[in-house]
Amino acid sequence: MTKKVKANILSTSISLVATIIILFVFLYLVGKDPFEVMQKMLTEVFGTGYGIGQAIFKATPLIICGCGLAFCFQASLFNIGAEGQLNLGVFVMSIVAYMFDDYLGIFILPIAVAIGFAVSAFWGFIPAYIKIKRGVSEVITTIMMNFISLALINYFLIEFLAVKSTVRTEKILDVINIPKLSVFSDYFEGSSANLTFFFAIALAAATYFIFYKTSFGYKLRAVGLNPKASRYLGINTNKMTIIAFMIGAGITSLVGLNFVFGYKGYYEYGFSNNLGFTAIAVTLLAKNNPIGIIFTALLFGIMDYGGLSVNTLVPKEIMLVFQALVILSILSFDRIIKIYYLKEK
Amino acid sequence: MLESIITYSFFMQVFRMFTPYYLGASAATFSERSGVVNIAIEGFMIISAFSYAAITIATQNPYLGLIGGLIIGILFSLFFSLFTIKLKINQIVIGVGFNLLMAGLAKFLMLLFFHSSSNTPGYPHIPRLPFLKSIPMIGDLTGDSIIIFALLLVFISQTVLFKTRFGLRLRSVGENPEAAETLGIKVRLYKSGGVIICGLLASLGGIWLASNQGSFSDGMVAGRGYIAIAAMIIGKWKPMNIFFACLMFAFFESLEIALQISGSGIPSQFVQMLPYLITILVLIGFVGKTKPPAADGIPY
Repeated sequence: MTKKVKANILSTSISLVATIIILFVFLYLVGKDPFEVMQKMLTEVFGTGYGIGQAIFKATPLIICGCGLAFCFQASLFNIGAEGQLNLGVFVMSIVAYMFDDYLGIFILPIAVAIGFAVSAFWGFIPAYIKIKRGVSEVITTIMMNFISLALINYFLIEFLAVKSTVRTEKILDVINIPKLSVFSDYFEGSSANLTFFFAIALAAATYFIFYKTSFGYKLRAVGLNPKASRYLGINTNKMTIIAFMIGAGITSLVGLNFVFGYKGYYEYGFSNNLGFTAIAVTLLAKNNPIGIIFTALLFGIMDYGGLSVNTLVPKEIMLVFQALVILSILSFDRIIKIYYLKEK
Repeated sequence: MLESIITYSFFMQVFRMFTPYYLGASAATFSERSGVVNIAIEGFMIISAFSYAAITIATQNPYLGLIGGLIIGILFSLFFSLFTIKLKINQIVIGVGFNLLMAGLAKFLMLLFFHSSSNTPGYPHIPRLPFLKSIPMIGDLTGDSIIIFALLLVFISQTVLFKTRFGLRLRSVGENPEAAETLGIKVRLYKSGGVIICGLLASLGGIWLASNQGSFSDGMVAGRGYIAIAAMIIGKWKPMNIFFACLMFAFFESLEIALQISGSGIPSQFVQMLPYLITILVLIGFVGKTKPPAADGIPY
């Protein structure tokens, strides 16, 4: 084990412990019993198959979106636009699916997913192109494009596509649904977890392979670590920027598999509930490592469902605070360990 | 049709909407002029708006709410400078974390204290200024101390940034910190100064929103913190230009509201996305070149 790997494990574990301590103190200060909350949460999540299923269901889109973001982050592209990218992709995906499901049946699934992927990839292409052509930071453009995409969706949904007096599209035929885990095992009875979870695991494995076992992944990481040196090595950094952004944004649209095809059967405005931002925390915590993302996403999934399950004791929004604290503490301990353990400047 | 929308009350509305934009945009300007990118303006607005609401409800004294909201803003900016200036962590990532933290805290505490996920109970607003509030026609604007401050801030920030020693040093730290340090300027101190002024002004923007609305509701800041950053970019980090950028965005927002009410058939969503679209076009270079402070966003 190299010193760097040790440092990574050290900072991840210290920040998790630190976050939990801060959260405990905070809960205590606002007059709640942190141990009672913790205990209730653990029994609710791990006590039943339903609880575990729900945690898996919540973790699935985080794994997918996290893998997409990792493509960007590995290349040091700070994509804050996942929220907009995934919404636009999933929106188009579900429209295509319900419009043509009568004719194509189950075959519409790959077609709709491909089109959704393309739409998200296009939305990721724009900030990448502006970055390489005009040198504009992707951070600002992706933030702005989040608002634009949500307004666009809102317009088309309200004016043309929504089912009357709702903010959702029409339902897709049931035959196209991705089977729930409860179909295979009664253990998960009632939970929304579906086969997309295994797809997400496979995606993370594939992403890991691409990053660490292919020359493309090597180039991607080289561009992220040192763009200048990469150029000397003959890597076309502009091309890598475009590709990383397009693949990354495209992958975020695949969360539609979980929500549209695996759960609701339609796109609903606001379904993502800041998924694109939570996934930033998941990815950062995993240090952009796809295998790590599986575990951090599961942790967040447990916290997410756990938050719901303790809602009677303490508002579930405590999990929003938890997620933010995780981001801040992982960043600080990374830095502190770099200074005092790795002795870097 | 335009005449029916552009009325006296529309004009007043523009100046009201202008206030949080300008406070947020000058907040961002002070921070970025010192070389620290703060994309957490939105979060600062949310947490201070909530603090104003909670303290005013608890004490029934809006002045205590105002002071409390500002203190919370300063506390968070101290944290922000600890992360970005002392630990030199990537400012944008920290900004994302702060936005999540402050929005999450406000949501959580609102449920905890007021048992509602949508809004707090009502509370008194900051009292109107005597005399000034009774000026005919414009009394609504001139009676509001924060609106007056926002308008004066155009000249205050122009003067502070470009005519004082503090401003010169602040800008030098944002342009070339190495050179500034060789001249004996305490770089980190000035950066912290920029970040704290930023927190104060952004918080005041949030407090105004809370005071003006009469009850804090989830999502009330509604992206204004981001629009403020957009206004700063379009205004090229210059107080006077930012004034016009904010006025333009305030005009769009008022237009959006007016269009919704009038039922004119023009989709309000397109007006809604205009500020963001314009910002991107400006950044691409369609509307003149923009140049941020040279060392903006680089830890020192």
